[in-house]
Amino acid sequence: MIESIILWLLAVLVAPFFSGVILKVKAFFGGKKGPPLLINYYTLIKLFKKGSVYSTSTTVMFKLGPIISLGTALVVLMFLPIAGQDPIFSFKGDILFILYLMGLGRFFVIAAAMDTASPFEGMGAAREAYFPIICEATTFMILIFFYRLTGELQLSAYFTEGNTIELWNLTGAPLLFVVIAFFIILLTENSRVPVDDPATHLELTMIHEVMVLDHSGPDFGLIELGSFCKLFFYSTIVSRLIFPFDFGSSAIGFFVFIAGLIIVYVAVGVTESVIARYRMDKVPQFVLTSFALAFFATIITLEFIK
Amino acid sequence: MGHFFLSILIILFGGFLSLVLARQVKLMRFTAVFFLSIGCFLGLMDAVLKLIQPGIAGASFRYLNVFSLAFKMDELSGFFLVIIFAICLIAAIYSFHYMENSRNSLRTAVNYFFFSILIASMALVVTAANMITFMLSWEIMSLSSFFLVIYKHHSAESRKAGYLYFIFSHVGAMFIFAAFGIVYGYTGSFGFEDMGSLPETAKILVFIFSFIGFGSKAGVFPFHVWLPHAHPAAPSHISAVMSGVMIKTGIYGIIKMYILLNLHTALFGNIVLFAGVISGILGIVYALGQQDLKRLLAYSSVENIGIILIGLGVGMIGVSSKNPLMAVLGFTGGFLHILNHSIFKSLLFMGAGMVLHKTGTRSIDALGGLLKNMKITGLSVIIGSLAICGLPPFNGFVGEFFIYIGGFKGVALDKSAFVMSCFAIISLAVIGGLALACFTKVIGIAFQGEPRTDAAVNIDEKGPSMLFAMSILACACVIIGIFPKLILWMPVKAVSALGLGIGRVPPEPFGQMAGNITLAATIFLVSVLLVTAIRWFFYRNKTITRSGTWGCGFTQPTVKMQYTGSSYASFILDFFRPAAPLDEDHPKITGRFPLNTYYTSHVNDIAELHMKRVIVNPILFLFDKLRWIQHGDIHLYIGYILLAIILLLFFI
Repeated sequence: MIESIILWLLAVLVAPFFSGVILKVKAFFGGKKGPPLLINYYTLIKLFKKGSVYSTSTTVMFKLGPIISLGTALVVLMFLPIAGQDPIFSFKGDILFILYLMGLGRFFVIAAAMDTASPFEGMGAAREAYFPIICEATTFMILIFFYRLTGELQLSAYFTEGNTIELWNLTGAPLLFVVIAFFIILLTENSRVPVDDPATHLELTMIHEVMVLDHSGPDFGLIELGSFCKLFFYSTIVSRLIFPFDFGSSAIGFFVFIAGLIIVYVAVGVTESVIARYRMDKVPQFVLTSFALAFFATIITLEFIK
Repeated sequence: MGHFFLSILIILFGGFLSLVLARQVKLMRFTAVFFLSIGCFLGLMDAVLKLIQPGIAGASFRYLNVFSLAFKMDELSGFFLVIIFAICLIAAIYSFHYMENSRNSLRTAVNYFFFSILIASMALVVTAANMITFMLSWEIMSLSSFFLVIYKHHSAESRKAGYLYFIFSHVGAMFIFAAFGIVYGYTGSFGFEDMGSLPETAKILVFIFSFIGFGSKAGVFPFHVWLPHAHPAAPSHISAVMSGVMIKTGIYGIIKMYILLNLHTALFGNIVLFAGVISGILGIVYALGQQDLKRLLAYSSVENIGIILIGLGVGMIGVSSKNPLMAVLGFTGGFLHILNHSIFKSLLFMGAGMVLHKTGTRSIDALGGLLKNMKITGLSVIIGSLAICGLPPFNGFVGEFFIYIGGFKGVALDKSAFVMSCFAIISLAVIGGLALACFTKVIGIAFQGEPRTDAAVNIDEKGPSMLFAMSILACACVIIGIFPKLILWMPVKAVSALGLGIGRVPPEPFGQMAGNITLAATIFLVSVLLVTAIRWFFYRNKTITRSGTWGCGFTQPTVKMQYTGSSYASFILDFFRPAAPLDEDHPKITGRFPLNTYYTSHVNDIAELHMKRVIVNPILFLFDKLRWIQHGDIHLYIGYILLAIILLLFFI
């Protein structure tokens, strides 16, 4: 239990660092030196030191947005098995709770965006409401796949100790599809290229960034921290899937896990460097690919598992 | 049964008194609400007691010396009675201030009169113990609600809505009659009990007929066409009762028939689940496309009926594939959602009623910024929206959680059960996402931002009874969401008394799941408190300034530039274009300095479109050709009667 809490705290603390890795990779591809690796900490400290400007259009919902979005991200990490260790909390069906809790976070971020009466934020909100629908379908398809293999509906049944390697033993290649599908969800849910471009300078083309235009100071800091945690959640799962080995709670295990994490973050950075953002009406097709992959993975395993 | 009939009598007496006192408006409203509330409260207590202490109570009367009117109260009817009386009680309280604007006192009195009949007939429907009693109560229910729908009979729109509702409820009733007729043909009795002795093919036919009949009351796609017309036309407390409670009697009918027929074939489960998936997805897609707040809520009822049917379908598949856990989880999830939906949907209709009451408009795109002055209404509607999206820690999540778990149990099965379970799970996920988009639209466009038209400027919220009713329901959403154990025993009792042939239902796993939900909700609340504390810490002694919204460099923003509901939804609707065709009307923009222009759009419901093309138009054509029969000559009419009698004599 204590170990799990320490891991959870560490996860929250190091999440901004890993997001810095993406920036570094992008700078490398651009032939630039890039910001320091700890840039996100500097930004957070700067934000938390500031005061805030609130729009006269906003209500209490605007202030609730950052609180709930960080709150849900923190709870979600509590249910996540980090580095194959037991999570702080776990129960049968916890994954359903987690997925819907992320929906709650999304509801409040959208509500906070709509609160400003800004057409740009409304546009971002409409997109934020749209793409995750397809992601949810994929996620549940993947859950069906996992349930078919393990008969469990619990994150710790997939990602702790020897469970992940067991998944590979049971299926093999189809799990690769799931990894790719999950990576696509990671890109979509965390507003990365090619779905959304966090670095663009035109508000019309953004999704997540435009929704938080009016947030400032500590409120914005909370939102940023929330999105680092969210990215960390997805990356941990992908990392665990690509390095499923079980080393107990030894140091090697952690190093392998961190190596996996860095690979995922570098992959995100590379993706952002080599592809441009898709046109908005092409994005659903891209996200639907993940559903197709998860679907085929399930169909293929139907034959293996009798 | 004594208490039950007493409460029905009190309710009817209240309705009758309102007619007598029609001239003293305030007194009339007070007495009507008083008696309705007392009656509902008594009925609620009786129903809850019935669930706590099981045991079947019955009563029967002779009617016209030929038919026997029989009533029976078991756990299933007890469960539905709890919903009927609880929601009607709150709707009656709400109506006290809602009806204050009505200038025509007679109309208000008539409204209360039919409202009391509606409550009584719904209660009789779920306690009816033979076909005659059932159909009698069913028809009274349909007719009384018809008169409630045409409350504003001077407006053509309301009359059209009422007419449509009338046709649909009677075509639906014809199907139920047909189903009962088949049963009578085999058994020769009006009793419900003998239905189990039918041959299998007859059972399937009876089920399909009654599914269409009850489905048209429940609002199952494609028989839902009346629903988005009729629900907005009625006064809001009636919409709340119709959407929250009355359509559930259709669900009751489906469950009752399933139990009575006692045929555990996978076919029934597949039909119900498939209908649920289609209603669920299309219902919420159409809801997303609506600009009228109450129409949107009516379509969202179609969606929730879909979710309920998915739950029941999962349960039926569980029964037919001999998987007791899946069966119980599916049915319990469906029942929970029946209860939860009645709470949050009536809450949302009451919120919409408050908005309509104060602004005089139902158009979402004409509103905006209501949250600033309508704190309680706004907060209640936000809670209702969160609950209807199935998000934790609100009550909508609880039912969906059980349905999901039941669905996943089916994933481990083979062949058709596997396919249908996957279908159920994926569609539930998609419905959840779409509902989130739909209700962020309601909140974001109507309650947040800046007022888009004068109708929404300087709106206050008054009417203590309305605010009270909404607060109670909003609290119920939160409390059930955090402590599902408080109500979980009711659906569990009702399900275990269904007699599904799966043995005793163990209550332990349910208690455990409810405990888990409570635990998770607590963790979430604690973490939100933690973040709030952190936020408070960082905001100590900071300068907070207020200014306009950042316009991305544009310095002259107007309220018209805000995103509208139609534009918010258009992205998603594009994806569903084949099922939700869009009609657009706008003049072409020409020249460098375009003149004033307009844009209107309307999302079509394919059921409505095709029903007009395939059914209504041919029928009209046929009847047009038969017009010569109706010539107005009385002699020939007498001739028709004679001819009919002579023809009948050949058959008898």
